[in-house]
Amino acid sequence: MNKMLAVIKREYLQAVRRKMFIFMTLFFPVLMAALFIVPSLMVAKGMGGKKVAVIDGTGALHDSFSHHLEAAAPDPKKALSGGNRGQLPQSIDIEYADAHGRANLDAASKPYLDRLYLDKKAENGLDAVLVIPANAFEGSDAKMTFYSRSSTDLFTQERMASVANRAIQRQRLTGRGIDPNVVDTLTREVPFDSVQLSRSGQQKKGSEANFIIGFIFAALLIIPSFIYGLETMRGIVQEKSERIVEVLISSMSPRELLTGKILGVAAVGLTQVTVWLSLIAAVGAFGAASALMAGFDISQFLRPMVFVYFALFFILGYLTFVCIYAIAGAACNTDKEAQQLVAPIQMVMMLPWFIMFVIITNPDSPLSVALSMAPVYGPITMFVRTLVSEPPVWHILVSIAVSIATIAVFFYVTAKIFRVGILSYGKRPTIPELWRWIKVA
Amino acid sequence: MSVVLSVRDVVKTFGAVRAVDGISFTVQRGTITGLLGRNGAGKTTTIRMITGVFFPDAGSIEWLGSERDARDRIGYLPEERGLYRQMKVKEHLLFFAEIKGCRGSSVARSAERWLKRFELWDKRDAKVEELSKGNQQKVQLIGTLLHDPDLIILDEPQSGLDPVNMLLVRDLLRELKDEGKTILLSTHMMAEAERMADDIILIHKGKIVLSGGIDEVRNSFGKNTLHIDYEGDGAFLEQLPEVKRAMIVNNAAELSLNAEADPQRVLEAAMGRLRIRKFELAAPSLEEIFIEQVGAETMESIR
Repeated sequence: MNKMLAVIKREYLQAVRRKMFIFMTLFFPVLMAALFIVPSLMVAKGMGGKKVAVIDGTGALHDSFSHHLEAAAPDPKKALSGGNRGQLPQSIDIEYADAHGRANLDAASKPYLDRLYLDKKAENGLDAVLVIPANAFEGSDAKMTFYSRSSTDLFTQERMASVANRAIQRQRLTGRGIDPNVVDTLTREVPFDSVQLSRSGQQKKGSEANFIIGFIFAALLIIPSFIYGLETMRGIVQEKSERIVEVLISSMSPRELLTGKILGVAAVGLTQVTVWLSLIAAVGAFGAASALMAGFDISQFLRPMVFVYFALFFILGYLTFVCIYAIAGAACNTDKEAQQLVAPIQMVMMLPWFIMFVIITNPDSPLSVALSMAPVYGPITMFVRTLVSEPPVWHILVSIAVSIATIAVFFYVTAKIFRVGILSYGKRPTIPELWRWIKVA
Repeated sequence: MSVVLSVRDVVKTFGAVRAVDGISFTVQRGTITGLLGRNGAGKTTTIRMITGVFFPDAGSIEWLGSERDARDRIGYLPEERGLYRQMKVKEHLLFFAEIKGCRGSSVARSAERWLKRFELWDKRDAKVEELSKGNQQKVQLIGTLLHDPDLIILDEPQSGLDPVNMLLVRDLLRELKDEGKTILLSTHMMAEAERMADDIILIHKGKIVLSGGIDEVRNSFGKNTLHIDYEGDGAFLEQLPEVKRAMIVNNAAELSLNAEADPQRVLEAAMGRLRIRKFELAAPSLEEIFIEQVGAETMESIR
């Protein structure tokens, strides 16, 4: 027992002193948040500076294109959810050209199209040109044309199309003698909020934030497991290749050694989670306030149960992964071999991450439920479900039980392979050989 | 004298290879026992079974006369060094002691004593990987001894050490023996074993070919070996009819003679062509015995 403690202590102290641990503990959550939040801010803000020329063959739409949305500050939430589709967002800068009466609209738009080729930074550069034909109000075959340098800027394209269409519809209606004020009243859009109704009757707002926060938490949950799993694997390979293991095994049983190692690594993980959760708790109020300013209501994610579930499923997922990597480490003699062995396994383990989108958007679908109760996939899937939905308690209990059973089985197998593999210095064993090791050890 | 370790009919097979094939021996308290053999003879496998790294396929290994957990009584220096590169020297030593069940301030004091003796005290907080190879070996050796083991098992302890450190280790082993420690020393360096060991066990292809007290073993081969130092070209000595086998290096020849051969005839032949500085009839050296036992074809590999 004391020997195992010595191993736990060594593993723990060696791991937490590494730069990697300090980086992961202090900067990783920030990095993750940045990785997901910055792009969504960029969607709203970075897209700004789009310059679009409007060549209006009807000459009647000037008002519609000179009128911007009221918001001065970038609003990522609205940018993402796309409220008020009929109006121009602040980020699109319009250069209006009245081409009414010009016989040849192509000739009129030619100088503008040329400016599309200019450097974006150049004074006169344009990102897109929208050409509205003269017969836009009456002609049944009238067609607007949107020229741009990037065919993928769907946001600008879609917004311009809807702004132009609304303006044209408005003009058609007023052209039939309807009072413009009446037109506005009749065509006013009704805004909508998304509200998630939980079993407890509690109302939560803002599903688009769930999405990003769900990803951030999932990343925090899964990535350390991979990183420390790899560290454990490399540690075992190193002990083998440098024959430290001989001294260790001559002093204690392989099972004591393995248990000590895994508990040591688990303690590292727990330390990390504790620091993260305390960080979040400490800056939680501040973070929530600043997130709210940026358009996210994250207060619902700072519930105590989220913390409890995070810690619980983190440890379960973490131990599962560490066992898998420990098997690879015990079975191989070099880092390279071990990495080749785990690479395909890793892809399989990553499955919930690849379909995270589906899980977050359909947390109670049969697929999500099945994954959340499956071995290996359970912890991360179940945690995400508890985050964005309210799964029944028995789902959670089954998931925990399955995870614990998985870890127990993996530990048993790892200990067996460890016993044989840790001292075999030959070439990498094949799967049938591994199977034999499990049976003989 | 009492027996500390008793190995009986131990067998270990790896695939089709019988690495250790029915080995039995005992080790007496307070002696140095040399475990000799070529590389691959089965020395390290035998040692790994004694230290509990391998389980024998058959046979038994018994510990006698102690209440302590057998594993904690051993200090084991593996053949290839095994240290965590990232750990600091002193920290590493304390870890080694702790996995042998020793902790606390007495171990720390003991570590300080050893580090000072091996001139490593000012490097106590350096990482292992920052040390030279020789210093790493010294750290490993301290790690073997720090928990005050009764039986010290050293697998090729002097490989890679410079002459000064070899001397240091030699003195240390004698000192430990005087303190009543038992030492099992595996080596393929015969001269070293000859200097140090009280008893030898010679292993070849997984079997013991020879064992016993070193003088007893040597004398059992009779005084039929000539040691001649000379000036001149002694190559012809090998061709003399009386000579069964010769090792000639730098104007010194060790000639093992055929049974019934008269050493006097060899001296006459040699005097005719060489200037003799030394002529001695003695028991064969361990190296000579080793070759005699395991075959001359191995000579190249052991030199």
